[in-house]
Amino acid sequence: MTVLSVPFAGALRRPVRNRYVAGLLTWRGVSGLALVGLVALAGLLAPVLSGADPNAQGPEALAGPSGAHPLGTDDLGRDLLSRVLHGIGTDLTIILTAVPAGAVAGAALALLAGTSRAADLVVQRLFDLVLSFPGLILGLAVTAVLGPGRWPVVIVIALAEVPYFGRQLRAGVLVQREREYALAARVGGAGRARVLLRHVLPNAVDPLVVQGAVALSVGVFIEGALSFLGLGVRPPEPTLGSLISGAVAYLDTAPLLAAAPLGVTAALVLGFTLIAESLNRGVRG
Amino acid sequence: MTGQVGAEVLRVRGLSVAFGGRAVVRGVDFALGAGESLGIVGESGSGKSTTALALLRMLPGGGEITGGSVELAGQDLAALPEPALRAVRGRRIAMIFQDPMSSLNPVLTVGRQLDEALRAHGGRRPRAERAARAVELLDLVGIPGAAERLGDFPHQFSGGQRQRIMIALALAHDAEVLVADEPTTALDPTVQRQILRLLARINRERGTALVVISHDLGVIAETCSRLLVMRDGEVLEQGPVQLLLTDPQHPYTQALLAAVPRLEAPSRAAANSTPGREPLLVVRGLAKHYGPRRRRTTALDSVDLELHPGETLGLVGESGSGKSTLARALVGVHAPSAGEVLLRGEPLGRAGARPDVQLVFQDPYSSLNPRLTVGQIVAEPLIAHRLGDRAQRRARVAQLLEQVGLEASAAERSPREFSGGQRQRIGIARALAPEPSVLVCDEPVSALDVSVQAQVIELLARLQRELGLAVLFIAHDLAVVRQVSHRIAVLHQGRIVESGPADRVVTAPEHPYTASLLAAVPTLPTTTGSLL
Repeated sequence: MTVLSVPFAGALRRPVRNRYVAGLLTWRGVSGLALVGLVALAGLLAPVLSGADPNAQGPEALAGPSGAHPLGTDDLGRDLLSRVLHGIGTDLTIILTAVPAGAVAGAALALLAGTSRAADLVVQRLFDLVLSFPGLILGLAVTAVLGPGRWPVVIVIALAEVPYFGRQLRAGVLVQREREYALAARVGGAGRARVLLRHVLPNAVDPLVVQGAVALSVGVFIEGALSFLGLGVRPPEPTLGSLISGAVAYLDTAPLLAAAPLGVTAALVLGFTLIAESLNRGVRG
Repeated sequence: MTGQVGAEVLRVRGLSVAFGGRAVVRGVDFALGAGESLGIVGESGSGKSTTALALLRMLPGGGEITGGSVELAGQDLAALPEPALRAVRGRRIAMIFQDPMSSLNPVLTVGRQLDEALRAHGGRRPRAERAARAVELLDLVGIPGAAERLGDFPHQFSGGQRQRIMIALALAHDAEVLVADEPTTALDPTVQRQILRLLARINRERGTALVVISHDLGVIAETCSRLLVMRDGEVLEQGPVQLLLTDPQHPYTQALLAAVPRLEAPSRAAANSTPGREPLLVVRGLAKHYGPRRRRTTALDSVDLELHPGETLGLVGESGSGKSTLARALVGVHAPSAGEVLLRGEPLGRAGARPDVQLVFQDPYSSLNPRLTVGQIVAEPLIAHRLGDRAQRRARVAQLLEQVGLEASAAERSPREFSGGQRQRIGIARALAPEPSVLVCDEPVSALDVSVQAQVIELLARLQRELGLAVLFIAHDLAVVRQVSHRIAVLHQGRIVESGPADRVVTAPEHPYTASLLAAVPTLPTTTGSLL
């Protein structure tokens, strides 16, 4: 009876339905969206912004910025601007495939864990197993089996994210299914699956949205790391990670070669992190 | 009850508080003399707790004092800088809160927490002296074997003892004013009475001025000499408790008093509906144990009950008596360890297997899924039992909402948009959806304000009359239970210790436990104007 927030809850928090939107409409959310949006737009418009073929080699290797090559060329004379822009496209495709796949797989496993104690035990140990491998070892293991390429990168990122999504949702499920409305649904005659999917899941899903934004930034990292080690997308197709990797040898002579993809990567990670934080604040209200 | 009233210690003038520009306390005035006791009563949203917190400027985020003053011995606390105010908090004005479970730090021993309270405010006394003082404080609040218990952790104490420890902490610096915000709301009636007596004794013997905030007039009548009635952030009237409770001037105080269920009032159940002959629901030897065999705890121990159509059986018991376990066993959520539940002679299956027994919950906030609309919530049992198609369900939901006194258009809205009482109506509509013959109500009104309580009770009575429902009404408030029930059963430590006609159980209890429950009910003066 002395819950102070209750009398004002209706007055102050009216647009409850749009907590995500409300979170995104803060300075954090807007600057995050702007950063990610700008980078994504540049990636989408790659063919328009730069006429050069990203994989066409030219005679001028390691040239500085010029009219024909606004950011200069790399060691094989390829246009750097074009490679960075196309690299954005590759990166975004990979993480936007891998993160939702990881989220769905993690959520499915968490719901499975919610059905019985035995299933919970199995799923939990499965998560522990994946988490016990440092990300890079996991990447090495997967690529050792599948070989380097685009899909192994997607699989590594998805796999690395599964336990995080799964654990988040499992914790939410454990809390929400003890709430009285879940009990009310059972008394009303709803079966186990219906209680879980219709009542518990929608109330436990908030943290996953935030986790999703975090995972996108982690995805950029993992792609970069794998490409850096030469385990990522096969050359000559450009990715941000492989561009940085290739630039390391020329750090003192052509710093722009590393700086351009690094800047874009940093912008993406920062953008996703800002979005995650703004969503988090929005959801917590 | 009344302490020695000395010089004025606290004077509040025109105190106003706003949250995000919205005024929630407007121009509150009162004065408190040394050793005096003041009760502030009001329903939820009246601003009584906000007033208490504003005294020490401890308002939660977004709240600010927008006007007025709080003078402690002539010094305005509302204008004091924060560091100077910290020296007042806990030392000159101390507070105790509603929930003794969460107000103590679970990982520190009680002795350590008392020691920290004693060391605060620069009380540089030797360790041994502080320990002696801690024992003295625990002794004062009535913790048996105080010296041995300093090394114990909060979880090793009962709820009532924890509230006593909170009071001991508050008394560490001999504060001039003790503010108690709903000090007994989370406690059982018998424990409540002990705590109220303790507060009254401290007020009387130590001359500590006392401010008690409560929604319960009975609680204030037991501890305070003066009463202040609040509604919508304003003080409606104030004066001596005896006078205000017997001859209230303001219509709101009169209505509030009239809405409080009186233990002396006879049961109204017989006038409402006549129970059928044949028992509808029969519970035989129901038992529920938890934990492994060797260290098992018994929540229910061989419970026998009969419930007839059109009958209300009141089930009374304190926390831990097994009330909620019984409710959940009846609707099939808990599988009983032994015994059976028969409906019309047939065993009742698992939860939701049959729509005949439905449950109404205590907490109207957590029992409605916030992600669904009211219409979806009420339709859930219909979908689960495959009753009707989409159009039929919609019509049934509209009918149910009107039946519980809401508009059919409520179906499109979110449960968040409704007040506590309206939410409880939604919960009742949901329970009625699959046309049950038995309604199990687990503390259906204890989270509601008294005026709303009366409306929900009226609704349940009307539904019973119209639908011939059998109702198991579980509650801890004996006055409410007597009012609504044909028969009362008393549950104590998992056993039914007494059962019988409602009026008989209240007026002539046979079991000593029932008698102690009855004795613990705070009483209000009844005769209007007799003191004048």
